[in-house]
Amino acid sequence: MKINLKTPVVESREQRLGTIIAWDGKAADLSKESAYARGNCENTCGDKARRLCEMEGPFTQGSVCSEQMVECQAGHVRNAVLIQHSPIGCGAGQVIYNSIYRNGLALRNLPVENQHVICTNLLEEDMVYGGAAKLEQSIRDAWERNHPKVIFIATSCATGIIGDDVDGIASQMEVELKIPVIPLHCEGFKSKHWSTGFDATQHGIVRQIVRKQPKKQEDLVNVINLWGSDIFTPMLAELDLRVNYVIDLATVEDLEQLSEAAATVGFCYTLSSYMAAALEQEFGVPEIKAPQPYGFAGTDAWLRELARVTNRVEKAEAYIAREHARIAPRLAELRELLKGKKGYVATGSAYAHGLIAVLRELGVEVDGSLVFHHDPVYDSQDPRQDSLVHLVDNYGDVPFFSVSNRQQHQFYGLLKRVNPDFILIRHNGLAPLASRMGIPAAPLGDEHHSLGYQGIINLGESILDILAHKKFHQDLAAHTKLPYKQWWLDQKDPFVLAKESKLGNKEEPSYV
Amino acid sequence: MFNLEVSHKTNSIQQIRYVCAIAAMHSASAIPGVIPIVHCGPGCADKQFMNLAFYNGFQGGGYGGGAVVPSTNSRELDVVFGGENRLRELIKASIKILDADLFVVLTGCISDLVGDDVGSIVREFQDQGVSIVYAETGGFKGNNFTGHELVVRAIIDQYVGDYDGPKKQGSVNVWSLLPYHNTFWRGDLTEIKRILEGIGLTVNILFGQESKGVAEWRDIPKAQFNLVLSPWLGLQTAKHLEDKYGQPFLHVPVIPIGGKETSAFLRKVTHFAELDIAKAEVFIKEEEKQYYHYLEGFSDFYAEYWWGLPAKFAVIGDSGYNLALTKFLVNQLGIIPGKQIITENPPEEYRAAIRKQYQTIAEDVFTDVEFEEDSYAIHQKIRQTNFGHKPPIVFGTTWERDLAKELKGAIVEVGFPASYEVVLSRSYIGYRGALTLLEKIYTTTVGASA
Repeated sequence: MKINLKTPVVESREQRLGTIIAWDGKAADLSKESAYARGNCENTCGDKARRLCEMEGPFTQGSVCSEQMVECQAGHVRNAVLIQHSPIGCGAGQVIYNSIYRNGLALRNLPVENQHVICTNLLEEDMVYGGAAKLEQSIRDAWERNHPKVIFIATSCATGIIGDDVDGIASQMEVELKIPVIPLHCEGFKSKHWSTGFDATQHGIVRQIVRKQPKKQEDLVNVINLWGSDIFTPMLAELDLRVNYVIDLATVEDLEQLSEAAATVGFCYTLSSYMAAALEQEFGVPEIKAPQPYGFAGTDAWLRELARVTNRVEKAEAYIAREHARIAPRLAELRELLKGKKGYVATGSAYAHGLIAVLRELGVEVDGSLVFHHDPVYDSQDPRQDSLVHLVDNYGDVPFFSVSNRQQHQFYGLLKRVNPDFILIRHNGLAPLASRMGIPAAPLGDEHHSLGYQGIINLGESILDILAHKKFHQDLAAHTKLPYKQWWLDQKDPFVLAKESKLGNKEEPSYV
Repeated sequence: MFNLEVSHKTNSIQQIRYVCAIAAMHSASAIPGVIPIVHCGPGCADKQFMNLAFYNGFQGGGYGGGAVVPSTNSRELDVVFGGENRLRELIKASIKILDADLFVVLTGCISDLVGDDVGSIVREFQDQGVSIVYAETGGFKGNNFTGHELVVRAIIDQYVGDYDGPKKQGSVNVWSLLPYHNTFWRGDLTEIKRILEGIGLTVNILFGQESKGVAEWRDIPKAQFNLVLSPWLGLQTAKHLEDKYGQPFLHVPVIPIGGKETSAFLRKVTHFAELDIAKAEVFIKEEEKQYYHYLEGFSDFYAEYWWGLPAKFAVIGDSGYNLALTKFLVNQLGIIPGKQIITENPPEEYRAAIRKQYQTIAEDVFTDVEFEEDSYAIHQKIRQTNFGHKPPIVFGTTWERDLAKELKGAIVEVGFPASYEVVLSRSYIGYRGALTLLEKIYTTTVGASA
C-alpha cells in the first residue's frame, strides 16, 4: 500500500495498519493473527487495514492523544516554532515537553533552552465565530519573535469540530513569510491511538521540509529517535557512517537532508514506521529492514543489514565480533546476579518487543508484558520487520501478552497474574500503581539505554539498581490503599468487563 | 536575538502559566475520597495531570487523580452522534470499579461543543442515590481558576444541598490556594489549618490530606463564616454561600508569610469571628517566640555575610503567591521590589483592588503590578526593568530559569510550572513556612557563591 502524501491529513494508524488497543493472549497467537504471519492477506482484508479481533470495554481511564505526540516531535525541532491552535488546556503540554526538551538537550550536550511553542488560546467566542484570525496572528507572532525556519501548526479537538480552515491559512502565510508553514492534523478524537500523532508530524515534514532534489550523501544514516543519549554516533562510526538524528532536537537543516541519506534506521518501528517508509517511497532512501537492534540476535542482524545496504560488510563483521567479546565477561556476571528474577515490560509496541529480548538475553524471566497498542503490520509491509515474530522465534513465547492502552485498572490484574520482581516502563501512569503494589519500575527516559550490545549491559545494571528500590515500594505498599473496589481487585481476568459487555450485560450492578 | 520592543498584546500565549477549566479535576481529586470522571478527548486528563501534578513539584496524582481518572476518551463517533451513551456507560462502570465517596463529572471541549446533555445523565444517577455531581468545564470556557469555582459550586449545590439548621460558632470554611496549581498547596493548607486552630477555630480546610473529605464538605453550611484567603479566588464561592446559607465572609487578600503578617492576620480573624482574644494572644505569642528565635539566628548571616545578597527582586506568578511574597520580601526582609507580574488572568473586576494592594505594600514603599499571561511579553518586561547595580533574585517558574541566568541573577521556582523542584510537605507561608522560605532563598543565593 502506498503512503498517501497528496493530502495534508495523514491517514490514521487504524486506517493504514489496522492498529488495535485492547487484546489479551499469547504473544505467539497475536503474531499469528497479525498480517505478516497470515502472509498474503489482500483477499480478506483488502488493500488497507488488517483486522484483528479487538476487545472494547465500558471502563476506560485517561489515555493520550495524537496532539501530544505532535508536541513532543514538532515542538522539539530546534529552529522551528509549533503553534497549538487550541484552547489553553492543550497548552498544558508545554510544561512536560519543555522539561523533556531541556533535559534532552542537556543529555545530548546541546545548548539548553526553553522550547518554542505558542498556543492560540481560543475562547468561547472563537467557537462561534471561528479561530482563523487568531491563528494568523499567532503565526505572525511566531515569526516576529523567533524568526523560525519552519512553523508547524497542531490542530485540536475544538478546531476540528468548528472546522477552521487551517490548511488555507497555512498556505497563505507560507507565501507571505516564505518559510514552510505546516498544518499537522492531530485532533485527539480522530484516532483511537496516539501514535497517529507521530505519523501526522512525519507526514508534514516529508511533504513540506524534506529536500525534493536530494544530493545523495553516501555515508549519512537517518536515525529516527526521540531525545536519547548519543549512542549511534560511535556505533555507526565503526562503519564509517554519520548520523542524522531526527525529529526531536534536530534542526530544520537536519530534516531537509532526510532525503539525501544512504539509509534510515530507528530504535522502534512504532515511531519510525511512517517516515522511513515514506522516505523510501518518495526518495529511494532505503529503510533498514531487519529486526530491531536489541539483544545479540537483533543487533547482529540489524548491523549486517545496515552494512549490506551501505556496502560496509567487512567492517560490520569485525565490529560485531569485537563487541560480543567485549561485553561477554560482564554479561556473564549480570546473568548470575539476575538469575531467577522476573521482569515485566509495559511500553510502546515495537519497543517492548525489543526490551523483552534484552531481558531474556540477561536471563530474566518474562511471563507477561503489555504494549499500549499493536500494529499488525508496519508501513513497509516487509516481513523482515516483524518485530513480534522475531521475538517469539528467537526468544520464545510470552504467555501473558496484553494490549492495553495505559489502563491502570487492568494493570493491577496483569501484574498479579505473573508477580514480577520489577517492571520496565516508558510513559506515565502505570509505575505509580506498581509502586503501591510493592513493585519497582525502571523508567526508560533515555530510549537508547537498552539498544545494541552495550544496551544489554546497561539494562542489566539498571535492573540491579531498581531492585534495590524494592525496599521503598514494599514499605509504601504496606501503608497505602488503592482506589479500586475489592471486587475489582479480586477479578482474575483484567479484561472481564470487555468480555461481559460483549456478551450483553447480564445484570445491572447496584449503584450505592 | 530578542526583539526588545514589547509588541502589542495578542491572543498568543507562549509558555503557559495556567491551564483550562477541566484541570479543575484536580480540585475534585484534592478532596480525600473524591474521584473525578472526565468526559473529553483521550489526552485531556493526562495533559492536565502530567503538567499540573507531575512536572510541577512532582506532587503525584494521589488517591483518585492522575492515571486513575476515568475518561470517555471521546472518538469521532461521539462527535458525530453525541457522547451521552458513552458517558452513561462509563459512569456505571466507574461506580462498579472505583471506591469513591463522591464522583465529580467534568466535561471537555468535545462534549460542550456537540452539546451533550450531561446534566440529565448525571441526574439519572443522582436520582438513584449515587453521590455524583457535574460541572461543564470545556477548555474554551475559562481557565483552571474559574474551573475550580465551578467544581466547588457543583459540589455545594448538587451534593451538599440546602441547610437551614443552626450554625456552629467558632468554625470556618477556608477558601485559599488553588490545589495542585500552587506547587506548595498541601504544606500551605496544613499551616493555615494549624494556625487557625491555634487561635481557637474549628477549621474546614476542605482540600488536601488535612481535610476530612466529603463529611467536612457536608459541614460547610454549619460553619460560622467563610474565610477567603487569596486576592480573588474563592470570592465567588463565598458570595454564593452568603446567599445560600446566610454565611458572612472575611476576605483577606494577603496570604500571610512571616511573623509580622501572620500575627496581624490572626488578630484580624480573631476579631471577625469574635474569638477569645486572650487565648488567641497566647498562641500568637508562643508562635512569635519560636519564629523570632530562628530569625535571630538567621540575622548573623543576614547582617554580615561577606559575599553579597540580592537587593532587588522580581515576582512572576499568580496573584496569591505574588502578593504574599511581595509583602514578605518588602516588609520582613527589606528587599526592594523591581517588577511584579501577575499571570493567571484574574477577572477584570478584581484587578483594581489587587493593584491597590501593591501600591500600599508598606507605609514607605510604593510599587505597582502588571497583568500579563504570555511569557514572551513577561520576559521582555523583565529584561527592560532596571534592577540597579546588581542582579535581582527572581521568584518565578521554570520558564524563568534561562532568563535568570541571562540577568546573572538567582531563581527560586515558586509557582506553576516548577519542573525543577520536588515538593512534598514544604510550605512557604505562615510562621513555619516563612522559615523554610528563608532557607530556600538563601541556600539558592549562597549556593551560587563558589
